[in-house]
Parts: sequence; structure tokens; C-alpha cells
Amino acid sequence: MRAMTTTTSSRSPRRRTVVALSIVLIVLIAFVVRLVDIQVVNARTHVDDSLAMGLENSRVEYASRGSIVDENGVVLASAVNRYDVQVDPMLAAKGITTVDSGDDDDSGTTTGWPELAAQIAAITGQDAAEVQKTVTDAVAENPDSRYAMIAKNVSTEQYRALADLKLPFLSFPPQSGRVYPDGAVGGNLLGFVGSDGQPLAGLENADNACLASTNGKVVFQQSRDGVVLPGTEVVTQPAVDGGTLKLTIDRDLQWYLGQLIAEQVQNTGSLRGTITVVEAKTGKIRALAEYPSVDPNDPTATPADDRGSRAFSSPFEPGSTFKALTTAIGLDSGSYTPETTVTASSREVLGGDARVSDAFSHGPNTYTPTGVLIDSSNVGISKFAEMIPKQTRYDYLQKFGMGSLSAIDFPGESVGILHPVGDWDTQTFYNTAFGQGLSVTVPQLVGAYQTIANGGLKIPLSLVEGCTAADGTVTDTPSTEGTQVISPDTAHEVGLMLENVATQGELADKIAIPGYRLAIKTGTGEKVDENTGAYKPDAYFTTMIGFAPADDPQYVVAVNLDEPRTVKSSAATAPAFQKAMTQVLKTYRVIPSGTTTPELPKFG
Amino acid sequence: MSASPAIDPRITAPDRSTPARERRLTAVPTTARRRAPRRLFGVIAVAGALTIVLVQMGLGILTTQSSFEIAALTQQQRDLTYQKQILNDESAGLSSPQYLAANAAALGMVIDESPTYLRLSDGAVIGSGKPADTTSSVDAMGRGSVRNALIAGVPLVTDPSAATTETGAAATSAPAAPAPDAATGTAESTTPPSISDGLPTPATR
Repeated sequence: MRAMTTTTSSRSPRRRTVVALSIVLIVLIAFVVRLVDIQVVNARTHVDDSLAMGLENSRVEYASRGSIVDENGVVLASAVNRYDVQVDPMLAAKGITTVDSGDDDDSGTTTGWPELAAQIAAITGQDAAEVQKTVTDAVAENPDSRYAMIAKNVSTEQYRALADLKLPFLSFPPQSGRVYPDGAVGGNLLGFVGSDGQPLAGLENADNACLASTNGKVVFQQSRDGVVLPGTEVVTQPAVDGGTLKLTIDRDLQWYLGQLIAEQVQNTGSLRGTITVVEAKTGKIRALAEYPSVDPNDPTATPADDRGSRAFSSPFEPGSTFKALTTAIGLDSGSYTPETTVTASSREVLGGDARVSDAFSHGPNTYTPTGVLIDSSNVGISKFAEMIPKQTRYDYLQKFGMGSLSAIDFPGESVGILHPVGDWDTQTFYNTAFGQGLSVTVPQLVGAYQTIANGGLKIPLSLVEGCTAADGTVTDTPSTEGTQVISPDTAHEVGLMLENVATQGELADKIAIPGYRLAIKTGTGEKVDENTGAYKPDAYFTTMIGFAPADDPQYVVAVNLDEPRTVKSSAATAPAFQKAMTQVLKTYRVIPSGTTTPELPKFG
Repeated sequence: MSASPAIDPRITAPDRSTPARERRLTAVPTTARRRAPRRLFGVIAVAGALTIVLVQMGLGILTTQSSFEIAALTQQQRDLTYQKQILNDESAGLSSPQYLAANAAALGMVIDESPTYLRLSDGAVIGSGKPADTTSSVDAMGRGSVRNALIAGVPLVTDPSAATTETGAAATSAPAAPAPDAATGTAESTTPPSISDGLPTPATR
């Protein structure tokens, strides 16, 4: 009796439990099997099904091209959104049928393509007939045509206006545009990008690796009406913005000098002109203004030849500005001293068959090196050059940077012409002493004067301060390692001589800046006619280069004018040089010199 | 003898007491205890399941709702981004030095050629010490030559009748312009009438 009761009361729940558990297990296993079937075995099919239904979609995350900023962070070039206007010609040709809800008429009103084309053209600023033709041509060619381009790179305002027309056959893929808020300020250096966003010139091109961006991709699931399902967005490729390129240029100074050189070019009837400013102690280019120059917002408005930087690409025969280098070489190599004298007339035949003459006529003068620089005597410097071995001169010129690219390596930069010393005939031997028979670029010449201004230590010129990537890393910082080309003593002596050129030279009154000690040298180089290879008659390339304050040189300024007409000598550059140097000293708050220039004897 | 009667009741006693115990244990209290929790658990389980379903539905509705809300806000944000872009496009170029300088020139301001400094430590005047010339060192308004397509035709703030001139080609075709003085002169003479709105301010130099 007791055994009976225990079996009935305990075994029947246990059996029930076992049965229930096994049912649960069976169901569970069934689910697991189904789950594996769905998720693993037939996963691909289901994903394909969902794709076929358009549930998964992706979009491009647009990254923007990096900005270019000046030394103070003012934006010179930045990315903007532009849009292309594409049309589906097959649909567009049918026009738009609007069903008026208040009307019982089923057909509604149809707006024909010509009328719509006029609406579009009014917004894009095109000719209505032209827009209309785009579609009719596409349909004529292929009745099922689904793609034609109406306009490229329209502004956001136009894009929104077009989108507000609510025409289903228009699409607006975004494009990366570029805007240069300051226009032609530094346009010669910045370069520009094409309508497809590809860099075409200048730093945009040279530093594209810094500025370029990488678009990203986001994959997501969406419902049938296009609403993104929450939590399904996956960034499969992150968008990376381009880096910020910081230049050594000062935007305001660049503008002022650009305006100044433009006026000077116009006043003197020159072909073109350049003003360059370099910080003497760092080699940083603070401004490099050219005229004519390109407005990167509208490069096609400028003739193709003027869209680059002539300062880098077109070398010229420097003329008398080279006499300071010859003097420095002679003093540094110990070939002569500041007290050495030569006797020079205005016309002489030297070395047997080389004819050398000065710009003005004078009898035999007993010149010191200072006197040769002040009077800019070709004969005088030729006689000093005779004291220096030509190999020494050549080696020094190379060390000054002639015949090699500047550290900037600007697109299209020229190395100039410095013939090997073995090729120097007698005439070239003398001509090179006063800057003929060789050609240099503006940065090469400015670099040489930077060396003199900086105690003989040549610092590589730089135009780019650095590139700050989107993640904050800074690259492309310029090298500050200099090379000692001439001794500090020689540099000081030559600096003093150039100061005396500023105070005793014929342009002294025109270039004086009250309160500051200046060092300058002018140059009027003959121009080689590219067609004949001979010197062009009556055409000169004039230069004035100098630094201030001469007692502690801070800035080197060079003004070049190509073929000035109203005044053909280097006097053409004087007013612009004086204004440019004044502006540089003002901009950088350079303290006036407390001393005056010690006078050096011109004649021995 | 005394042991056997003593043993008997002990043997019989459990026989009597056992059925009494069984009756007490098996009857009421155990069933009462078991039945009440089963019903309660059932109710709790069903109610719980219902609650979960309801909460899930509620959350589902809320999520859907907020995803629509997000979509609406995203749309709004997109519109505002468009507006920002449009405004940026409109204002681009207004910050350029060309525009600033032309506006200043229209007010009759000049760029002084020679700087003069006041040294704070001893009050010494260093530099030229002369007042500014009446002519500007560059003529930003009359001969604006640093082109900027962004502000071409945009009227000056300080002189709405004028815009920055794009004289690049024009000035070279008219060579040897007696430019700076004449141009600045006209700029100065047009200045007084240009103060049309707002209070007239004294021209200080």
C-alpha cells in the first residue's frame, strides 16, 4: 500500500517533467536547426533577397579637400560643395503631369519639356534652348537614354532652387569645388584646381599629397520608404579630410605688394614684374607677388602663360646685382681686401679680346670695391674678378645656389643657366662677374642676398610652413639647416658696401626710408631674344634687391621689372622698392636703426 | 514480567500513532500550500509575458517614432547646411584685402608711406615723424589690379555706387596713366556725398 502511493505520487510528475523537457528540447533543436539554416546554410540567398528588395543601401561620406592658409592661419583656399545637374532624358522628354486634387479630371495638367527647360535654364543661367537641346539630342540619339549632363559645378543656391522645382528626372551628384576668398592674392603660388577637382598648378599641385582627401562609405539598412533602420549604419570606410597646408606667406603683405607691382608695371609699361620678400634669418618667403597673375577662382580669364609663377619658371640675366656676389667671393677667398683698388675707364678691352663697358662714360677712376658697387662699374668689377681664379668663382656661385633648384622645388621651377667653368671663354669670364652670360631665377638671387644678409649663412628658402593632417600630425616642415657660404666678416663687409650703395648711389633719394639703414644693389640685365639667341636691343630686365635694417638685417626685398618702357634703367624699380620695403618694415614692426651708415671711400 | 507489559504498549503505540500522523500531514496544509503558488505564478507569468509584449511594442513604436523624428531632424539639418553653404558662398570674398582696401579708400583713407613709431619707454618719436600724405601709396579703389572674381561687381559697403574695379586689362591699355594723384583725387571728392545713411562723421586723419 505504501509502495503504491509513493510510485504514483513521485513518478508521474517526473515523467511529465521528462516529457515536457524533451518537447522543449525538440522545439529548441528545431529552432537551432532553422537558425543555422537561415544564418549559415542559406545566408547568402537571404542577403541577396534583401538586396533585391533594396533594403540594404550605402552612401558616400564626402571628405573635403584641405585648406591652404597663410602664416597667420587666414584661409587662402578652401573646399566648397558644388553640384552637377544630371537629367534622365527619357523621362524629361515626357514632361511632368500634375494631378490637381481639387479637380475631378484624371488627366491633370501636363507641363511640357520646353517649359521646364526654360525654368531650369533661368536658374542655371544657361540658354533655355541649349538646355532643351541637351535632352532632345539625347532622346533623338537613343530614345531610352537615361543620362545627360545639363550643367556642372552649380552653386548650392542654384542646386536648392533646382531641387525646389521637384522634377523627378533631375539628379544632383555633389562635387568638390574650390574657393579662393582672396582671389589673385597669392594666386601665382597657390595654383588652382580644374573643374573636376584635380589640382592643375602651383602648390595645389605640388602639395596635393597633403591636401587630398579620401571619401568614405557607410552601409545601412532601410525600410521600403527609405527610412534608415536604427542601428544598422556601419562605416565600412571612414572619410578622411585633407590636411591643412600652412604657408609662410602673409596675406595682407602679399596683397599690398601685388597691388604695388601691378601699378608699377602699368606705370612703367613693363611686360611683367615681381616683388619678393624673404625673412633674412629663416629663409621664409613672406610674399612673392607677381603681375600679371592668375585669379584661381577664374583661371581661364588669364592667358595660359601668366597662370603660373614666372618668378620660379623664367630665369633672367641678373646684371649688376651679381657684382655684390663677385665682391663677396673675392673678399672671402682672400683675393683682395676692401682697401684694394683697380683703375678702370668706362670702356676697356680686357684679357685680349673681351670688350667691357660701363653704363656711363668716365675717365680712369681708382675704384675701391665699394666704389665699383656704387658706380656699378662693369670694367671695375671685371678687373677685380681677374684676381679670383675662375674655378673659385664657379664653386662659390654654386654654393650661393646658382644652377640648382631652390629648396622649395616649385612646379615648373627652372635651375637657371650656369655654364660649367670649362666652357667660359674670355668674354664669359668677364660677363659672369657682372651678371651676364648666366641666368638665375628670382628665388636663386634672393637666396644669395639672404646669405649676405644673414652673416654668410644660407638658409634653404621655404614657402610651406607645414602640413597638418586631419589627425593632427604635422609634416613637411622646412629644413632650417643652413650652410656657411662666406664668413660672417665678409658678409658684414659686403653689407656695409651695399649700404653705401644705398646712401651714395644715384638712387639714394628715391629709396631712402627715414630712420632705417638700407643696403641695396640695382641690376639691369640685357635680355636674350628667345628667337634669335642674341641680346634684344633696347630691352632690359631691371632688378633692385636689398635688405633692411642693414645694421641687423631682417628682410630681403627684391623688385623685378621685365622690359620697363618709360624708364629703362633700374630707376624704374626704385619707387616700388621703397614702398615695398617700407610696407614690410611696417608689417613686421621692425624697430628703426638707431645709427647711421658709416661712409666708405669710393675711390682709393 | 514487568518488561513485557512495558514492551507491548511501545510496540502497539506506534501502530496507533502512525495513522494519526499520516492523516495530519497528508490532508489540508500541503495542498493549500501547493495550489496557491501555482495560480499566483501562472498569473505572474502571463502578466509578465503580457507586460514584456506590451513594453516591447511600446519601445518598438517609440523607436520607430524617433527614427522618423531623426529623419525629420536630419532633413532639417541638411536644409540648414545648405543655407550655411549658400551664405558662405555669398560672403566669400568680402573678407579679402582688395574689398577692405577699396572700402577704406572710398572713405578717403590712405595708406601712409613712412612709418612713425612712438617708443613707450621714453616717449621718443622714431621715424619720419611726418603726417600721412594725402595720396595713398597704392590706389586700391581706382586701380585695383589684384583681381578677385568673387567680388567683381559687388558694391562697396562704404560707397554703394562704386564697386572694386577690375582694371587689369583696362589700365595697361591706357598706358602711363597719370594715375595715383588723379584717381585718389576723385576718390576723395566722391567721399562726402557717399555718407548718405547714418550720422555724418568728421573726417579725421
